[in-house]
Amino acid sequence: MNTAEQVEISAIAEDAVLVEWQETISPTIQQAISHLKISLNAALSHKVIEMVSSYNSLLIYYRFDLITYSQLLETIIEHTANSTVSRDDTSNTPELNIPVYYHGVDLDHVANQLSLSVKEVIDHHSTNSYIAYAHGFTPGFCYLASLVKQLQLPRRDTPRTNVPKGAVAIAGQQTAVYPNISPGGWHIIGYTPLPMYTTQSQVFEPAINLGQVVRFTAISKEKFIALGGNLEEISRL
Amino acid sequence: MITVEKCTKNISIQDLGRPSAQHLGFSTSGAADEYSFLLANLLLENQANTPAFEIFLGNVTFKFNQPCTIMLTGADCHSLLNNRNVENNQLLLMEKGDVLQLRTPRNMLYTYLSVQGGFDCNNWLGSASYTHNEHHINGHIPPIYQGQAFTLSANTGSKSKHENVISNTPKQDRNLFHQSQKDKLTLRFIPSNLFNAWTKTHQHTFLTQTYQVSTLSDKMGYRLTGEPLEVSLETELSKPVTLGTIQLPPDGQPIILMKARQTIGGYPVLGVVIYTDVIRLSQKRPGEQVNFNMTPLSQAQAQLLSFRKRMGLT
Repeated sequence: MNTAEQVEISAIAEDAVLVEWQETISPTIQQAISHLKISLNAALSHKVIEMVSSYNSLLIYYRFDLITYSQLLETIIEHTANSTVSRDDTSNTPELNIPVYYHGVDLDHVANQLSLSVKEVIDHHSTNSYIAYAHGFTPGFCYLASLVKQLQLPRRDTPRTNVPKGAVAIAGQQTAVYPNISPGGWHIIGYTPLPMYTTQSQVFEPAINLGQVVRFTAISKEKFIALGGNLEEISRL
Repeated sequence: MITVEKCTKNISIQDLGRPSAQHLGFSTSGAADEYSFLLANLLLENQANTPAFEIFLGNVTFKFNQPCTIMLTGADCHSLLNNRNVENNQLLLMEKGDVLQLRTPRNMLYTYLSVQGGFDCNNWLGSASYTHNEHHINGHIPPIYQGQAFTLSANTGSKSKHENVISNTPKQDRNLFHQSQKDKLTLRFIPSNLFNAWTKTHQHTFLTQTYQVSTLSDKMGYRLTGEPLEVSLETELSKPVTLGTIQLPPDGQPIILMKARQTIGGYPVLGVVIYTDVIRLSQKRPGEQVNFNMTPLSQAQAQLLSFRKRMGLT
């Protein structure tokens, strides 16, 4: 059985169709979504306005004045059935290594809550590798999963109003880097000097691509500063 | 040039937004009341997507140092042109030195000021729309500051020698869209699979309620207050969300997602309010009443197509 082929398709708005896979975080589903995006883009080109994906869903905004819902539905079904997903079929994007100064404001609290030592928290977070599942929340924010069971905690009861830029945080099965100072309810375990996006003459380039494999590596305070990290910025909470 | 002589943080530049940057996590953004925005450009014979000033609750003063033709639409700010009353939805011929003062509107929230031929402004990922949560991103649209001057785009000239030229669209038609502002607004929505799977009793509770727009509403989402819906809903993985999405957070009070919404959301979804009714909702003030009514997709699409045709978008 291929979970990637079991989808539910719904016309949720005038110009939007939502395709949903099984309610689970899985690399196979991520690949199926990525494949469907590519083949729909090729098949429909300008009839598609935008496609936004998340863990197990793909939202397709379409020109309903150019293609009817039933025509679109047919195309989606055709391309979902045809997408043979194999394990080796990962994108050519190389792994991304994110250096982390594990000195987050919530690190002690997280360790306490999980009955782990701080070192164990750091080891668990930096030994595992993650897959990039969705861009959202704010530009440059990328949802990475999955954390090992030992590190899973519900998000904070009260979100912070000012999470610093570069904060590396965890919540539930997920981990992510805050690309800019913003509100946020995740537990901050460290800080990275690596920018989460670059902008150049009307181009916005996220540091992490969807489907990419991401790892975190522990670095010292000195390395953090050497790589452009700003201690003052991270202490502003 | 047009100078924003007096303002607080209540003015921004908006157009139809950047729907194709959502995959990067950018909000579509854009004019809250798309009808009034498009109406101004339509009557000025501008391109439909010409950026305009969006003013929240009036109280902005503009100074003109060259002749141009402009139009005010949306919330009526009882505006004064050199201390003389001027009306919305009328072509206004500005002369060098003219001062236009927008006062506090009694109804609705957003007013649009569009200039014939447009004015020069920044562009980011295909749109001039300012988004509060994103403006710190390098290259994005900065906020407007008091005293900021805007250069008029080329080829602006006075369209006519006569002041207050009435355009050929009948005036009453222009007010029809937001006509029911004082009354309860019925939001037609396309129900989600989740809503369709609800018991008749639960559906009935939702469909017969009258909600009030909460003071906690903003351009990201309008929160509604009513009898809390007591339905136990499982939290699902975050999914992409569209304009008009009706979310149901654990407190049982619905939130309708508006133009400056995030691109994905985690709360259970009851359905999506049809596009034209979201535009109507955008002008509702806290305390004003709304209710919900289901509508089929085909009807929603027909409504939106005819709206776009009428507003010069197709």
